Amino acid sequence: MEQIQNIYRVVNNEKLCPQFWRLSFDAPLLVKKVQPGQFVHVRTAEGLEPFFRRPFSVYRAQRYMEIFYEPIGPGTRLLTSKQKGDTIDVLGPLGTPFVLPPQGIQQVVMISGGIGIAPMLILSDVLKKKNYDLILLYGGRTRSHVYPMKEFKDNGVKVHIATDDGSAGNKGRVSVLFDKIKFNPESTFIYTCGPNPMMKAVQDFANKNGLKGQAACEEVMACALGACLGCSIETKHGYKTVCYDGPAFDLDEVLFH
Amino acid sequence: MINLSVKIANAVFKNPVTVASGTFAHAEKYYNLEEVKKLGAIVPKTVTLHAQVGNPPARIWETPAGMINAIGIENPGIDDFIQKKLPNLKKIGVPLILSVLGQDSGQFMAIIEKLNTQQDIAALELNLSCPNLNHKILVAQDPQATQELVSKIKAISKFPVIAKLSPNVTDIGEIALAAEAGGADAVSLINTLTGMAIDIRTRKSRIGNFMGGLSGPAIRPVAVAMVHKVYQSVKIPIIGMGGIANANDALEFIIAGATMVATGTINFINPRASLEVLEGIKTYMHDNDIVDIKELIGSLNR
Repeated sequence: MEQIQNIYRVVNNEKLCPQFWRLSFDAPLLVKKVQPGQFVHVRTAEGLEPFFRRPFSVYRAQRYMEIFYEPIGPGTRLLTSKQKGDTIDVLGPLGTPFVLPPQGIQQVVMISGGIGIAPMLILSDVLKKKNYDLILLYGGRTRSHVYPMKEFKDNGVKVHIATDDGSAGNKGRVSVLFDKIKFNPESTFIYTCGPNPMMKAVQDFANKNGLKGQAACEEVMACALGACLGCSIETKHGYKTVCYDGPAFDLDEVLFH
Repeated sequence: MINLSVKIANAVFKNPVTVASGTFAHAEKYYNLEEVKKLGAIVPKTVTLHAQVGNPPARIWETPAGMINAIGIENPGIDDFIQKKLPNLKKIGVPLILSVLGQDSGQFMAIIEKLNTQQDIAALELNLSCPNLNHKILVAQDPQATQELVSKIKAISKFPVIAKLSPNVTDIGEIALAAEAGGADAVSLINTLTGMAIDIRTRKSRIGNFMGGLSGPAIRPVAVAMVHKVYQSVKIPIIGMGGIANANDALEFIIAGATMVATGTINFINPRASLEVLEGIKTYMHDNDIVDIKELIGSLNR
């Protein structure tokens, strides 16, 4: 039986913009297996500090596995020191992936805040083969949270950007971009990932307009295998683990706080 | 050929390495079962009489070389456990030590009676020490309550009984002695230490249930000292745990007096830790010309 945990070789680790980095590692079996919305659980330290592994959405899986991250804590900061040829200890791929759009959907709107853009590229890689009208609404705090997003554009995704301070794109939260799109309950499907208050705003908007979708959630994780039950969140159907029942949930299922 | 087998009452384990309750199940499908089969025993997450939904998030928080948890024994309840979980756990083919918890002795008895109808259970571990259920005092903080409860359960259980002890006491030796007096076939220790972390920005606890239990390598020296202390006070076997991350850590517990050892929190960081512990113990025995693990148990030089 195949191991869920393995040591892989880093092939690239680069800063994409002042805030975000991308790390690629060579894992052909994972590339073959992973589905959009799934994640990997990475041991960033050799020793016990920081103690937990860190979960990362898979950003892309083409030749290599790619994760997209923001160095903001001790684990993610350590990750920036990885260089080509170094090894990386990875568990995965893990979790319940995104459900693909149901029959009749023509327009897919991805709504992300900050690092919540991470699962959307691999999603667009899969969806572009099916002739959807693909749109990305991206909100960042400042222009240092914005990068060219060329891969999205290459996938035919129409990208709209907002920043809290207006230093790039429209000024305001990602919700200011909702007016840019003509949503249709019959033919639009939403994917969202970002801070909980943002996803709550997306959920409210979707409910008001009769739109369906999926949300990729985040929580502090220990095992990431559904064993410790540490990453549970509240849903309409009780507590569910982000690592095992999620990260992808029906947008209207999660009770965001 | 080295002998790694150990016994608790009439239950035989092919080696002394197991996993701490709450850190393994119900993740059966993710583990390489061929590897899991090498373990001496498996201890699934604690089961209660009725289903419990667990505590509100956040349930865990990372700390230096460890974590605080307040999961709140989320579990399907004993009936569902027997029906849906137990058959698959049995299929693994490793002796099962089932961790159980009642809110009072009546609930404990009801759980034991239900399990008495089952076969192929190596032993029961009484969780007398979960810190996350908002009880004012734990059974394992009161020697008399420990002795009374253990003796009631021993009177009806067809399986060997292990008392899981709390480190949140003045003298764990006294509690272990009470468990032994009540007829316990073994004690397991330690459960988590009461812990807390505060978000200084919001001035709120990091944990939804306010307080939690601290585990991981941070608590290992406390656990080793407690195993040593309990080994001085009782004759029954000890299952030692608390921050074991590798074979050297496990050997400390065995030398201090543990008959079996369990990996816990480290399973979340290194899912293969328990197997590495087992291999490392074998290597140590080989390198030190020890043919029987029993030679090592409590072999501390003074």
